[in-house]
Amino acid sequence: MDIVFQQIANGLSVGMGYALVALGLSLIFGVLHVINFAHGETFMIGGLVTLIATSLLGVPYLLALPIAGVAGALLGFAINHLAVQPLLQRRDGGADVLLATFAVSILIHQAVVVLWGPAPARIDGLAGTIEIGSVVLTSQRLFVLAVGIAFLVALEWCLKRTRFGTELRAVAQSQFAARVVGIEVDRVNLRTFVIAAVIAGVGGGLLSPVILYSSLMGQVVIIKAFVVVVIGGMGSIVGAVVCGLLVGLLESMLSLVTSEGTATAIIYSLLLAVLLVRPYGLAGKKAR
Amino acid sequence: MTRVSSWPAGIWLSAGVAVAFLAAFLIDSPYVAGLLAYALVLGMFALGLGVTLGQMGYVTFGHAAFFGLGAYAAALVSTKFGLNFWLMAFLAPLPGAALGILVGFASARLGGAYFAIATLTTAEILRLIAANWIDLTRGPMGVLVTAPPLPWQTAFGWGQQQSYLFLLILVVTLLLVGLRNLQRSPLGRAWVAVREAPDLAESLGIPTVRARVSNIAISGGIAALAGALLVPKIFVVTPDLLGVSYSATGLLATIMGGKASLLGPLLGGFAFAVLPESLRFVDAARLAIFAVILLLVVRLMPGGIVSLLPGFRRNAPAPAFGQHKLPALLRPDLPAPGTDVLAVRGLQKSFSGLKATDDVSFTVRAGELVGLIGPNGAGKTTCFNLLSGFTRPDAGDVLCLGRSIVGLAPHQVASHGMVRSFQQAAICPTLTVYENALIATHRAAPEPFLSALLRLPACRRREDERRLRAEACLGAMDLLARADELASALPYGDQKLLAIAMALAAQPKILLLDEPAAGLNQVEATALAKVLGDLRRAGLTIVVVDHNLKMMMALCDRIVVLHHGAKIAEGTPETVRNDAAVVQAYFGVASPEAVAS
Repeated sequence: MDIVFQQIANGLSVGMGYALVALGLSLIFGVLHVINFAHGETFMIGGLVTLIATSLLGVPYLLALPIAGVAGALLGFAINHLAVQPLLQRRDGGADVLLATFAVSILIHQAVVVLWGPAPARIDGLAGTIEIGSVVLTSQRLFVLAVGIAFLVALEWCLKRTRFGTELRAVAQSQFAARVVGIEVDRVNLRTFVIAAVIAGVGGGLLSPVILYSSLMGQVVIIKAFVVVVIGGMGSIVGAVVCGLLVGLLESMLSLVTSEGTATAIIYSLLLAVLLVRPYGLAGKKAR
Repeated sequence: MTRVSSWPAGIWLSAGVAVAFLAAFLIDSPYVAGLLAYALVLGMFALGLGVTLGQMGYVTFGHAAFFGLGAYAAALVSTKFGLNFWLMAFLAPLPGAALGILVGFASARLGGAYFAIATLTTAEILRLIAANWIDLTRGPMGVLVTAPPLPWQTAFGWGQQQSYLFLLILVVTLLLVGLRNLQRSPLGRAWVAVREAPDLAESLGIPTVRARVSNIAISGGIAALAGALLVPKIFVVTPDLLGVSYSATGLLATIMGGKASLLGPLLGGFAFAVLPESLRFVDAARLAIFAVILLLVVRLMPGGIVSLLPGFRRNAPAPAFGQHKLPALLRPDLPAPGTDVLAVRGLQKSFSGLKATDDVSFTVRAGELVGLIGPNGAGKTTCFNLLSGFTRPDAGDVLCLGRSIVGLAPHQVASHGMVRSFQQAAICPTLTVYENALIATHRAAPEPFLSALLRLPACRRREDERRLRAEACLGAMDLLARADELASALPYGDQKLLAIAMALAAQPKILLLDEPAAGLNQVEATALAKVLGDLRRAGLTIVVVDHNLKMMMALCDRIVVLHHGAKIAEGTPETVRNDAAVVQAYFGVASPEAVAS
């Protein structure tokens, strides 16, 4: 029985990683109505920057996280200007953004493989463990959950209570109407994109001590994040977080009874099943 | 001068056979023959992908799912049951199409973004299965396949690679001809309509979900065939065939070549078969180079390589008009004048508490021209959306031509005989005026799939029928002179007339027009009023929503007035004009004279 509790704890922290990536995907889809395929690579770059900062430059881990966030922001800014913003106004902008961000994701991944190398690496996060009954949790895993929840609360506050949040929700409902009332839609789009990228960057920094940094971690996490977003309902932030945790949980439970490949295949199949039965996600309603 | 793309199928087929023979006889080197064959397989894969990406505009990141499935299906069935591999290869489109139906039905209802995600995960699921189900697939070791010699190898004394190339040229030729036939059929036009204006397509009676699923099934079937036909070249079927690199290759080949044409993906396939050979020296950066090319093409040259070819033009010219007797504009079986054709009973719809339609009832009789008016926000468009199936009412019933249409999809309502237009002129902007009208004839002369694929004589006859119907409808709106112009290049007034022409081409018994005069100047509005008057005199039942009260008062037999979602008055223009509640709703004061001015 202990192993089950242990897996629940582990699953929740890995799930928080999925949630942080899915959150950004969902936010971008909700506001810009496009999918940023390169979002997983932003997560990976967050992990890489944390690795470089801690192991090469000797920066303390807690200080490396904000650096990962800044790296995420810069990357988000670049992706937005290279592959998203110029294509948005096209007739089939959604498809073109999907293709362009796909190309960017390959570019980022290849650049990292060529310049840094494909080898996975360990990052030391927070030291120490905490015992709750018979379950042993590393401080890092608890830290991941705490920071994730903090992000969620901060984001909710930002969306509901700030002027920017109001503008963002206005753009999400109707770009046209938002423009009419004087909201600078391009700026809101850019900020949304950068916020999502910061969350993904920090997420990569948070998760890589738990799951091992690897240049492939972006490609793995993006598909899981898609599953999460579809199950949670595209555009729903709470749905992304709740389903992220659930998918992480399910994955670690499945790993008790079956091989990793089968577990992954089952989780991916959930996406198709949900699309067939509840097309707008378990929580989502038909939008727009 | 006849354009290459208008050559009849016979010429294409004979040319294909001739090229196949020439290639098999003339190409000595097995290496060159093998490389060309590989190029054709990639081209075929890209061609399949282009059906979805180019015709319908849906991006896919996992087309290797179909490609690999075809390869595995043919390989496994032929080795496990000792069946002839080639035979099984030609059955591979079946599982490919079945998977296409599954993925298409799961995702394509929701739009392109979901389809991209669903294909990506499907390919990963299949790859994981292939890699882990060792008993069946031997995992990463792969399934070994030996394809028997093809019959013509011995008959003509060709080499193995030459016979394989011969087969592939024939298959690609057949595919090209078949796809070209489909493109010029209602089904192919429905794909384009789904890409350009899905709501418009539904309103014209095109079942858009079925069109999307059929598109993905055909695309998957072709990709599966390509995958199966790759097997004789690679001998071993491994999970790599389902991997991201094949998905990316197919996608890049299609986009680089030009997604909108049939030739483009083939060109792209050739480029991708040959490029890796010449790019060997930069192997590590190959994927990165592909990514840069993709980014550049998407940003700078969305039309792909084919768009650089001289004489490339996507829009086919309209045929010469006025050479045949045109069919009657309206269908012969219009309901007898005076009978009830539309009965709205207690219709209700709320949007998060706001009553957009509040217990609205009215009746329309055949041959009437009924106006639906009311101040902004009165619920007129919502009412149309409820009638035409785009929105489902919370309560109430709509009896149309004797049958309740609540719960039907918009295309079913249109097929039942009630066709609507939209407030903003809904047209397919990248198509010509004539092509727009042709799309709208989808329902009037339905086409079975096989007949369209083979372009049987019956199909040609119906196609002539559709052409004449399109001509008649454009003629009625005085648009024939502009038939070859892009619809988006028309002045707004003409776009609205085109939208009406399209609605007519769908052969309605009842026509619902949502603000046909909005955005028109006085001259255009007068012309429109005349057209509507003519249609009514010819026996068509029309319900119009509009703000041009002057036109409505002059035109309508009866007017229904909505305010805050509820009906506040109904009657002849004269009665409504003098109704105190109506005047109050419009002006907030009781001044009957003001309403009509």
